[in-house]
Amino acid sequence: MAFTLYSLLQAALLCVNAIAVLHEERFLKNIGWGTDQGIGGFGEEPGIKSQLMNLIRSVRTVMRVPLIIVNSIAIVLLLLFG
Amino acid sequence: MHPAGSAAGTPRQRKGPSKRRIPVSHLGMADPHQLFDDTSSAQSQGYGAQRGPSGLGYPTASASPQAAFLADPVSNMAMAYGSSLAAQGKELVDKNIDRFIPVTKLKYYFAVDTLYVGKKLGLLFFPYLHQDWEVQYQQDTPVAPRFDVNAPDLYIPAMAFITYVLVAGLALGTQDRFSPDLLGLQASSALAWLTLEVLAILLSLYLVTVNTDLTTIDLVAFLGYKYVGMIGGILMGLLFGKIGYYLVLGWCCMSIFVFMIRTLRLKILAEAAAEGVPVRGARNQLRMYLTMAVAAAQPLFMYWLTFHLVR
Repeated sequence: MAFTLYSLLQAALLCVNAIAVLHEERFLKNIGWGTDQGIGGFGEEPGIKSQLMNLIRSVRTVMRVPLIIVNSIAIVLLLLFG
Repeated sequence: MHPAGSAAGTPRQRKGPSKRRIPVSHLGMADPHQLFDDTSSAQSQGYGAQRGPSGLGYPTASASPQAAFLADPVSNMAMAYGSSLAAQGKELVDKNIDRFIPVTKLKYYFAVDTLYVGKKLGLLFFPYLHQDWEVQYQQDTPVAPRFDVNAPDLYIPAMAFITYVLVAGLALGTQDRFSPDLLGLQASSALAWLTLEVLAILLSLYLVTVNTDLTTIDLVAFLGYKYVGMIGGILMGLLFGKIGYYLVLGWCCMSIFVFMIRTLRLKILAEAAAEGVPVRGARNQLRMYLTMAVAAAQPLFMYWLTFHLVR
């Protein structure tokens, strides 16, 4: 079984890329997952959907610049070592 | 008289150089960060006073070139400067290591003793009779694992992981499939699955908005307990073939399932579990499903990581 830590890192990088690529205006608003549509008042439980929306928004905000760096490194490594 | 005279003469000779060695090792003895007592100088001194030549071949051989080395004033200064540099570097590392690895928190998880390990292993194989699963607290901090069987620790998971890798190597060796890089592959594969499990559970805990005091290290500790059952299964499979493997693995899977449910229930379903009442309500139901899913994933991983080792 060749499931190594390196393949886990690659999979994580691809997943974070996938979340970062979701466009706010063209896609998320159309399916009702926009960042200004998630506020459900000050009730006790945020619910899974609003937690997911928060997660997507925070990943997109926080990981934008580090993703550029990590993706460049991954591209260079894959070009050099296959 | 000659042996007595020579025996009386040589310890005195050896005490001289060994006494000159003590100031160097005293730097280590005064260190508050040491976990263990530095008995090296006392031991060599004790041996020099009492024993004959048998114990002292080593200190004598290293003491004389060291004595000659120390006699030179320039190298004396260099040694003092070097040791002060080393002390400064050690201070710097000690100050900054806490930022990257929470060493003080980790020390709590390794504060175990033999009795705790024995009781915990018994609990992992037979959790059905244990009544009280609460962790005892002592002024807001949980009690060290040494004093409470229910507290999570990292010693058993770490040892079990390493033993699992070794037993996997043994199993592969008995089937003529062994090669050294396969050991590394097994280790990194098991570690990768563990990391994936921890990340998945953390993600689902975040999504279900559970307010628990279940830290990441706690979670790693709980998820590492399944390696104990895996080792048992593989060893029985080596001794008694497939029948033994399935029997022991089935038993360990049931035990880990019950153990995880009873432990996680207290952490995730904190308010309701304290009374022991079956809970209604969507939120508590979701939490119960999460607990059962985590506990059910353990037997699956146990089977997945061991079935290819037993033929």
